[in-house]
Amino acid sequence: MALNVLVVDDSAVMRAMIIKTLRLCGLALNAIYEAGNGEEALQILEHHWIDLMLLDINMPVMNGEEVLQRLRHNPETAALPVIVVSTEGSDLRIAALRQYGAAFIHKPFSPETIRTTVISMTGVCDEQHMEDGPFAGSGPDF
Amino acid sequence: MNNTWKTALLQAAVLTFEELCFLFPETELTEEQQRATADAAVCVRFQGPFHGALQVNLCGQVLSIVTANILGEEDAPTPAQQLDALGEIANIICGNLLPHIAGAHAIFQLDAPQVVDAAEAPASASMACVTDVQLGLERGRVDLRLWAQQAVAASLGEL
Repeated sequence: MALNVLVVDDSAVMRAMIIKTLRLCGLALNAIYEAGNGEEALQILEHHWIDLMLLDINMPVMNGEEVLQRLRHNPETAALPVIVVSTEGSDLRIAALRQYGAAFIHKPFSPETIRTTVISMTGVCDEQHMEDGPFAGSGPDF
Repeated sequence: MNNTWKTALLQAAVLTFEELCFLFPETELTEEQQRATADAAVCVRFQGPFHGALQVNLCGQVLSIVTANILGEEDAPTPAQQLDALGEIANIICGNLLPHIAGAHAIFQLDAPQVVDAAEAPASASMACVTDVQLGLERGRVDLRLWAQQAVAASLGEL
């Protein structure tokens, strides 16, 4: 299964870096959508099927925490895999985000961290592993 | 100046430039790096157990290199991309710095990065510079200044 991914960050440069990292990781990707704040992200979700969301927290208009709350209260998006990619450093706030079922990646991040977290959240193998057959590989090979 | 805060600022900056920008900052500056003039500056203000601001100045025409490295592209980045990248760098350094100086439980709210005049201090009489760091980057330099409310600055001075 190739993933439809939504990347939500108010920095266009950071969105581009995350997308580039996803592509370099060899993950099986289909469409990639971008949003500059939480409100834009929810609008995209209304019109497109998304398999995975990578979500910043500190954003204008609507922050990532509110997006997570809205997702979990909507039956259609309650189970959507979400990876929070943020500079947040408070372990109390990170624990609160994890209670919504979100994984957490701290900025700055390594490509390996993105890759292993995406695989663990979605269960989707990377392109090479798909070619070799399910679970044929022995894990990340950076 | 407080050594613990200076070390925390140094470590947060080195981590960010290494992992985000694939550059290796140097603590010993060459003459060329020392002479470099500012290209751009941004300031990230924060509120929490105490309030303050982190100002990041990039000097010596390294901003385009930094941005190109983040994007992983050979094409020259636009001025808008360069300022966006500098804001994200400041945001990440600040986010990594604050738990080290205020504790892992401390909750801070970071404002969006603002482009500022490199020579200008954050416009608030209630804040004082508590520590600063200079690092060599390629043929240029990054200057980082951490500001905190006067009461915090005064208490650091007494340590």
